[in-house]
Amino acid sequence: MVEKESYSIQFEEVDWNDTSCLITYGPLPDKLILSIQTVGLIQKPLLQRKSDGLLRIICGSRRLAVCQQLGLEPLSCEVLSTAISPVASLRMAIYDNIAQRALNPVEKSLVLTKMAQHLDQAQLVQEFMPLLDLEPSDTLCGRYKKLPALEEPILDAIARGTLHERIGFALSPLEQGDRLAFFNFFQDLPFSVSVQEELVEAVVEIGRRDNLTPTQILDSEEVNDLRRAHKRPARQRAQQIRKQLQARRAPRLTARKERFAGEARDLGLPSGVRLIPPPYFEGPKWSLEFTFAGAEELAVRLRNVARLAEQARFQRIMERE
Amino acid sequence: MRYLPQRLVIEKEVADSPLVKRILATLPDTPVDWVDQLKEDEDGENGSFLEIVKFRGRFIKPCPGTRFYNCCGYQILNLGIQCSLGCTYCILQAYFTSRNVRLFANLDEAIQQLTEHLNNSRREIHRIGTGEFTDSLLLDPLIHLSENLVPFFAAQPNAILELKTKTAQVDLLEKMDHRGHTIVAWSLNPPQVIAAEESGAAPLEARLEAAQRCQEWGYRVAFHFDPLLAYPGWQQGYQEVVDRLFSAVEPGGIAWISLGTLRFMPSLKTVIQQRYPNTSILDEEFIPGLDGKLRYFRDLRVEMYAYLNELLLGIHKDLCVYLCMESDDVWREAFGFTPAERGGLSAMLDRRALS
Ligand code: SF4
Repeated sequence: MVEKESYSIQFEEVDWNDTSCLITYGPLPDKLILSIQTVGLIQKPLLQRKSDGLLRIICGSRRLAVCQQLGLEPLSCEVLSTAISPVASLRMAIYDNIAQRALNPVEKSLVLTKMAQHLDQAQLVQEFMPLLDLEPSDTLCGRYKKLPALEEPILDAIARGTLHERIGFALSPLEQGDRLAFFNFFQDLPFSVSVQEELVEAVVEIGRRDNLTPTQILDSEEVNDLRRAHKRPARQRAQQIRKQLQARRAPRLTARKERFAGEARDLGLPSGVRLIPPPYFEGPKWSLEFTFAGAEELAVRLRNVARLAEQARFQRIMERE
Repeated sequence: MRYLPQRLVIEKEVADSPLVKRILATLPDTPVDWVDQLKEDEDGENGSFLEIVKFRGRFIKPCPGTRFYNCCGYQILNLGIQCSLGCTYCILQAYFTSRNVRLFANLDEAIQQLTEHLNNSRREIHRIGTGEFTDSLLLDPLIHLSENLVPFFAAQPNAILELKTKTAQVDLLEKMDHRGHTIVAWSLNPPQVIAAEESGAAPLEARLEAAQRCQEWGYRVAFHFDPLLAYPGWQQGYQEVVDRLFSAVEPGGIAWISLGTLRFMPSLKTVIQQRYPNTSILDEEFIPGLDGKLRYFRDLRVEMYAYLNELLLGIHKDLCVYLCMESDDVWREAFGFTPAERGGLSAMLDRRALS
């Protein structure tokens, strides 16, 4: 049984700056305000008296904040014995939260970061990652532990679910300005999570190669022209920007694709026939795709393609410049 | 660049092995930890310890080629793992967590397995190398492994040993009766690449001088332009290497020269970025190859191979130049023929091994 007692607190006794056991992140839920306004506080917050006489919040930080907003003072709370260690208090805060709701990724990162101060890595990974519905892996744990250092707008978006935590992981090694540049860029344009990851990688690599910062690339004229072409639908703009950045990162592959597209067009393949190069033009296997309605149409298309295949320009398509 | 460990970690079971005795005699002042058994990949991020263990698996294995690309049919004699030379692109960074060099002390078992292996297929020619999971000569000044291997291979009618290195540590080879069954091979790159990406290895001049000495001692030599790296001005860089190569060594005494552009498993990319944030080897564009490894785009590979091949054959038309892990279409475009048209890559190299 946890040693605690009921105590009516004054809000000035609360050390609002002591966040050592706080793992809640995100806006106050409207319904919580409504509930406290309507029926009062159902579940008492849990605090712990510290050596300086102030109270550290263990569980119920949002309830306390709402009660303070509503001026519900003095407030009846539970206060833990000082004998309980900091790690035990933190553990209590975590278990209390996960028993009631699913934590958002920022909260998960706070759990891992705060617990890491008390536990060794193996214990942290084995006990807390499954508890947070995460695969127990050192690498993943390391990625989560870097999230709390991100800027507030990024964390807010991750907590709200409008930015995936994977993008937070990808942004974490970058400079602050570059992170925010990416963040704004992704707010503007509808990219999927995997495309966002791809773009972070491509832009960082272009920057490394060309001695530019990611911000300089994202703010370049070429990107901005497309980004601000508001007459075009956002999805189309996103696609064009992606293509442009891919071409900048992989100019050889892009040039080869363009050459192929032009030559395939000039070849004059019959309609319903598509020539498909091997992925990345790697390996010898090219494919032809036929769409046809009936054997007769197929026979005609096959004959036409056979004639084309004997021509030198068909062979040239498959060769290097 | 002599390798000197700060500490020896030795499994008690191999305490009496000749290899351990030799190391302890060579490094009398190096602290030693005697342990029962080391884990397969002990944590050892800083790489300053030399681990000496009993190896419990197969010492000899075929080179892990894939069906998508032409493999040279090489076999690996695995006598140790890891390397301290710290090349930025080194594949071993993805294979092993620990950076400590590990040596297998039960050399007698290795030699026994090797003997059985060679006896089981007497009609085959075996090209065997020790430089797959470490540098073949890195530890030679310490452990004198070549004194065991070179005479052993000299007595085998059907086997050739290839010692692949980026060091110039060949002194011990001078007095050995190798009978043409040991080939000493160097991986080559332009000096600016060596300075930036192979900074722990011997400079180009030292490698070539060592090759020259080996030729004087009657060894055949080999060279591996692997990894070939694309950087602004690579053509001139490799041209200089080729020029310097042939002013140092006699082309007639070169067993083979391989070419292979940079390629690596995707997982290595993050490791390289973390360990060597300033390297430029990842700047070029990469595509996933048929074997899942990231490689340069094929047109660039063909361009590099064709360029090097022309340079090399322009100097000596009878050189045996081959591509490491490339497909028939790349061979055809770069060299004008496929290995199959010459009896297969393995047979091409076997013929050179015995010539
Ligand atoms: S010499 Fe070879 S084994 Fe050693 S670090 Fe360089 S690439 Fe790796």
